[in-house]
Amino acid sequence: MKTLFSIALGILAAIGGYVDIGDLVFNTTAGATFGYQLLWAIVLGVGGIIVYAEMCGRVAAVSNRAVFDVVRERLGFAVGLVTLVGAELVSLLTLAAEVGGIALALELLFGHSYQLFIAVAVIGLALVLWAMPFEWIERVFGYGGLCLLVLVPAVFKLHPDWGEVAKGFAPHMETSNVSLYLYYVVGLVGAGMTPYEVYFYSSGAVEEEWTPKDLTSNRLNAIVGYCLGAVLSFALLICAGALFLPRGISPELLGSVALVVQSPLGAIGLILMLVGIAFAVSGAAIDTAFSGAYNVAQFFGWEWGKYRHNAGAPRFTIAWILMLLLAFAIVITGVNPIQVTEFAVIFSVVALPATYLPILLVANDRAYMGRYRNRRLSNVLGIFYLGVIVLVALAAIPLMLITNMGQG
Amino acid sequence: MSRIDLGLGVLDHQLVDSDGRRCGKVDDLELDGLDVKAIVCGGSGWAGRGRLGRLTAWLARGRAVLVPWDEVQSVDDAVRLRKPAGELRLGRGDDRARRLVERIPGSGL
Repeated sequence: MKTLFSIALGILAAIGGYVDIGDLVFNTTAGATFGYQLLWAIVLGVGGIIVYAEMCGRVAAVSNRAVFDVVRERLGFAVGLVTLVGAELVSLLTLAAEVGGIALALELLFGHSYQLFIAVAVIGLALVLWAMPFEWIERVFGYGGLCLLVLVPAVFKLHPDWGEVAKGFAPHMETSNVSLYLYYVVGLVGAGMTPYEVYFYSSGAVEEEWTPKDLTSNRLNAIVGYCLGAVLSFALLICAGALFLPRGISPELLGSVALVVQSPLGAIGLILMLVGIAFAVSGAAIDTAFSGAYNVAQFFGWEWGKYRHNAGAPRFTIAWILMLLLAFAIVITGVNPIQVTEFAVIFSVVALPATYLPILLVANDRAYMGRYRNRRLSNVLGIFYLGVIVLVALAAIPLMLITNMGQG
Repeated sequence: MSRIDLGLGVLDHQLVDSDGRRCGKVDDLELDGLDVKAIVCGGSGWAGRGRLGRLTAWLARGRAVLVPWDEVQSVDDAVRLRKPAGELRLGRGDDRARRLVERIPGSGL
């Protein structure tokens, strides 16, 4: 009973933790531009994150290794180092985008200046990371993010054309602007499969000392948690499609993301949505700051982990402090956080293959995994998604240039 | 010790000392014919790992630490050593960083 309870709690946290600034931006703009046509791309992305999160959770539970241990062991020093540098740059950009997102949400909630809230966000995050125990962090921000469930009643209140919504789950294209359509496909898949999620997930599993006994909970967490999390993405895209597309509004500010619930649900809806955004995006900021520190520590073999106190894993601690400071330096220049988000998602797509290939290799290795190595289903899906990732990674930057970052 | 694959089973693996502390990676191996003499860790040890390794070694500037293979207790999910990191001159980067982090209040949290 107790395990069932803790599994349920983990799933709840995963739902609230699924959405980050990348999902908010890409789901809303994709809905506003193409209506419900791209719902299938969210399904594609969530399928990929389920397959690889389950796999790297299993690798962590059985072999006691997190993603960058595996990257180093399988890709060697030189290729591993290139992967590390890419992963760190992408994590930093993502963190900067999340910090900007928190500041925007706080600005909309409380007034005052955006610049002030950037500082508030960074100091708040630093205090949480410094002082709050690991399992608290996960729970508090995951549960807070559940406020985003307000999107679900908002969908029903907006009375979308359900026939059109259903059509959106099957890949089809009703536009002459093929490159813009494909740009959003890349963005939605990329936002769903952001690499920091697996860095953080696998490192957390090693920190919590998972064993093969935790594999059921790992599977449920990945499948149920991410599927329900994807419901929030569906809801956001549908709301944007129902509200913005007919009026020709292009959502360039985070405020317009929150507006998708204000129109159907009023002020209470708006406040819940903004609180949900603040929590979910803060949770993602914490994951990315830690991911940056996990990766470098695992690559060089330093002591790491939130379970060791701050001075017990000192270079790890310094690494996440540096991540926060650099992110602050980026956002405080006044760059548009929505643009930083798009950059972060598109470049993270490019880093995906080198992250997921070593996981797939190790998950098949008898020496690491014994009888817990990949079964056929995991391999079929794993190889399918590796193909998807490679295609998406190759297309990402050309599409970004052709479409002028989605400006058409 | 049973047979192990040096390329995939030892090189680039985690070093863990007798207190369970992570203290570096197997950055290179010093071979004497077909015998492994020592584990090479950090600093100039990266120089043997291709061009990027040489660049990293140049940036890090430190000397590599050699850990005689006799100090290896076992090789399982990590390369486990018989002694604490300090006695083998490993983990010194973390030791230096610790003195810095300990100045911040609440570093024991």
